[in-house]
Amino acid sequence: MIVFSNALLALTLLSVLLSLASHRLVALVKIMAFQGIVVSLVPLFLGHHMTMGSILMLQVMILIKGFLIPGLIYVAVKKIKIRREIEPIIGYHASLFAGLIFIVVSTFIADRIHGSLHGGQVLLLITAITTLASGLFLLMARYKAITQVIGYLMMENGIYLFGTALAKQTHTQYIVEFGVLLDLLVGIMIMGIVLNNINSTFDDVDTALLGQLKD
Amino acid sequence: MLEFTCLIPIFTGVFAMFLPVRFGRGILVVTALLHLQLTIMAWMGKVTPGLPQYFAASPDGLLVLLITSFVFFLVSIYAVSYMSETEMTSEPIYIGCTLFFLASMSMVALADHLIVLWIAIEATTLMSAPLIFLHRSKSALEATWKYVLICSVGIALALLGCFFIVLAMDIGNVEVPITFSSLSLVASQLDPMWLKAGFIFLVIGYGTKMGLAPMHTWLPDAHSEAPSPASALLSGALLNCAFLGVYRSHQLLYQAGLGDFSSNILIGFGLVSMLVAAIFIFNQTGYKRMLAYSSIENMGIIAFGVGIGGLATYGAMLHLIHHSLIKSSLFLSSGNILLGYGSKLINKTGNMAKLFPKTFFAFFAGFAGISGFPPFGIFISELLIILGAFQQGRTISISIFIVALVLIFAGAARLVMKMSFGKWDEEILVDEKMARVLPSYALLLTSIILCVWLPDSLYQTILSAIAMIGGSVNG
Repeated sequence: MIVFSNALLALTLLSVLLSLASHRLVALVKIMAFQGIVVSLVPLFLGHHMTMGSILMLQVMILIKGFLIPGLIYVAVKKIKIRREIEPIIGYHASLFAGLIFIVVSTFIADRIHGSLHGGQVLLLITAITTLASGLFLLMARYKAITQVIGYLMMENGIYLFGTALAKQTHTQYIVEFGVLLDLLVGIMIMGIVLNNINSTFDDVDTALLGQLKD
Repeated sequence: MLEFTCLIPIFTGVFAMFLPVRFGRGILVVTALLHLQLTIMAWMGKVTPGLPQYFAASPDGLLVLLITSFVFFLVSIYAVSYMSETEMTSEPIYIGCTLFFLASMSMVALADHLIVLWIAIEATTLMSAPLIFLHRSKSALEATWKYVLICSVGIALALLGCFFIVLAMDIGNVEVPITFSSLSLVASQLDPMWLKAGFIFLVIGYGTKMGLAPMHTWLPDAHSEAPSPASALLSGALLNCAFLGVYRSHQLLYQAGLGDFSSNILIGFGLVSMLVAAIFIFNQTGYKRMLAYSSIENMGIIAFGVGIGGLATYGAMLHLIHHSLIKSSLFLSSGNILLGYGSKLINKTGNMAKLFPKTFFAFFAGFAGISGFPPFGIFISELLIILGAFQQGRTISISIFIVALVLIFAGAARLVMKMSFGKWDEEILVDEKMARVLPSYALLLTSIILCVWLPDSLYQTILSAIAMIGGSVNG
């Protein structure tokens, strides 16, 4: 079972790297949907005892992270007709490289802290920190409002993984699950984008102009 | 049932969204009055929380609740007059959202559970965002976007901080409810490393909301783009609520014997915020932005005072009260100025002393107050913070503190003088009205009164609030 969870974590890491290097927004949204599903599945394979409540919570997580939010973003992308991030603040290759550096750094950090955790799995911590850092990075390194939201979503996935890594599963109190409330914020942001037709946050690029660039 | 302070505004807010405008205004004022009444009853100990596992009437929370409620009441009186003057297009949304905003701020003040506090602070972001976007202009949109995005990142990091604190409980084998009151009893058994990590994330998260530099970038935009009554609430009430989150975390660390660690972080953030404000205030072109930077400075002062400890903590708490009173008064006056001149730019204003005598008086007095002149309370609070810092032998930090204060005064004075006595020949658009000046006067007057006469219950509450982090009036 543990091995299966490692496979999931490897997939998460892969999706993080893919998202850092992807030009097209539609592809990015698909990657995020994939990442959302994989991340929500991780707790299932950690070998913890699952109660009825936590299994139910898992379904909700998959539904929100894997379908609802990516679906909303997809609608937003279609509606405001942007296909690619034209001018990222930090280029794709540099972003990919930064992602690799995050993995190295988080391996170092995870190595330092996992000793103090009960049966903490190193790979889980590494993935969590990398996802968190890459999300923050994506948030800062892109102009488009929608990509910033995607970065935020990724960061949130990282926090969720972190929570799963840290939480003692025998804990009777729900803590990690409150991360769902962050999705509420994401939802509001997407709503804002759709309703107000935000294309680029700081420098309002003409949407019609962007629509001319067909793939 | 102290929770009614949250529930009443929610109910009335929903009503106000659907009722015609003229009812909405009445509802706003009546709810504010009810809220103030409930808060005073809570202060007298007549109302207690109905859900003690989530809410508690802690002294620091009560203090913030009282300030919020009082400021909200006066701002709502102002808002009624302001709204009739500006013909806001989405007035029901404004009224509904301010009431929801009040509810979420009350929830922050009363929250005892770690996660409830977090949810409440997240709710304040959600509820105040529509207020900033009210004018629907391009700049308002940008300000709102920045506000929501940056504060959301902050709130996400704060959640991580909460995880870490729960982890510190797990490692220390502590099984108690995750409330601040029960954690404080077992604080010494928590794992220090994770507690520290949790504190850092909580300070970054809630500090973003509080406007501590370098996470302050949303604040000048949001506070200047929001309509003036909303700015007054954002500056006078919301910042305190975010501060409460930071303060509670500091309490927890102090009780765990890690007070030095968290104090130093707070002092660092405080000084950086003051310096950043001092640098940016110098060349401000808009007066609302100037006030917003002044808020950053004052939040820095409060963080600094709390970090220093001892007598300075008392000063910080006084500063919290007086900053809210004076700054919301200033924002209300700035609303009058905006109505009168039709511009947020300092260059497009002038000769207020002649054209706007009543507003000028409130604005100038407020400026004197915020700069730390007697008879306003900030004079005392800053003096106490400086004295407290000298008692602790923090000479380097205190010299930075004083330099920043002087710089900010110099920078702001230049702008205020220009607005008050500069040349202006054109006509003004909207004349000042008593209903829009009196709330400012009332707020300033309260600051003066509290400076010379502090009611005993208020004094005792401040003392018990600061006793939790080892502060006292005797140094």
